[in-house]
Amino acid sequence: MKKVIVLLLLAVTGYYLVISFMDLGKYGPVVETGVKDFYLEKTVSELHVANTITSIIVSFRGFDTLGEVTVLFLAATALGGILYKRRHDVGGRSVLFPSSSIVKSGSKLLFPAIILLGAYVFIHGHLSPGGGFQGGAIIATGFLLMLLAYDNFSVSHNVLSFIESFAGIFFVLFGLAGMMMGGTFLENFMPVGKLNDLFSGGIIPIIYILVGLKVAAELTGLIYTVLHEKEN
Amino acid sequence: MSLFEIIGGLFIVLGSIFLFLGGLGIFRMPDVYNRLQAGTKATTLGAMSVIFGVGIIQLENDWTWLLKAMIILIFIAFSNPISSHALARAMCKGKAYPFIKSKDKDINAYKEFIDNQKMEEE
Repeated sequence: MKKVIVLLLLAVTGYYLVISFMDLGKYGPVVETGVKDFYLEKTVSELHVANTITSIIVSFRGFDTLGEVTVLFLAATALGGILYKRRHDVGGRSVLFPSSSIVKSGSKLLFPAIILLGAYVFIHGHLSPGGGFQGGAIIATGFLLMLLAYDNFSVSHNVLSFIESFAGIFFVLFGLAGMMMGGTFLENFMPVGKLNDLFSGGIIPIIYILVGLKVAAELTGLIYTVLHEKEN
Repeated sequence: MSLFEIIGGLFIVLGSIFLFLGGLGIFRMPDVYNRLQAGTKATTLGAMSVIFGVGIIQLENDWTWLLKAMIILIFIAFSNPISSHALARAMCKGKAYPFIKSKDKDINAYKEFIDNQKMEEE
């Protein structure tokens, strides 16, 4: 009997899915004459940014990005809230055996290089592939390497939360400043400069640097929390 | 075709051969230690010479490419051996036995490996 009910429910759901997909209409022509040309044209002529994807993410759909960053922040907060209790009396991390001296000294050498690469990726987000999210993730992998190599490596949660809230507050403040100067949230109110320059694109590089810092701090906190969880 | 392109192309071909051999080794070797050795030594040299070749080819337009390539080379020279060292060490500590053909089970190397592991446990 249960199976029959489940089958009936599935059939009804499938029927309504098919009906609602029928209503969507034709797909092709809408894309060809849609917002694509607008984005491609305005990116170069108005914002003077070489990377169209960055201009869409940070400028045209900047409010979306603020939402994405908030989602990441909420996920990190929830994980910290679940795991924090078990952690505060544990000093180091429980490991089967300590890593060898080759790994330790090697990761000490590689750590600054990884941080530098991450910073490069999010500073050049408006010129080359990559951007805030990618650069932040690269920086977090650097911290992951150090945490794996040294079982007593610790990251200050005060510094992490300061960076995170600093970046988040300034993201919103830049958006509100655009509202005051131009009229819309995240309006590009700064001088846009020359195409393909490092200092070009108005507030786009600034926003992306803030996003990079925020993502790096969040992911580092996540990794630290997960590694130091002790099951008992 | 300039001289830079010829030299760089030779480096890239050499690197691709090494990368192919490394991939083949990972596919064909019987156990984790052999695979690590195929996947580390061959691919380190392969990746390094491909990147160096790209730097050489771009030398006539822009010499900064070679500089960037050298930085990547240094990074690979550090990261690749260290990561496979860590993997091999974890495998050894996790008691992954090396591959021995069944008729060679009595040879000394295998016994030595097991004895070392027993000694470390005590």
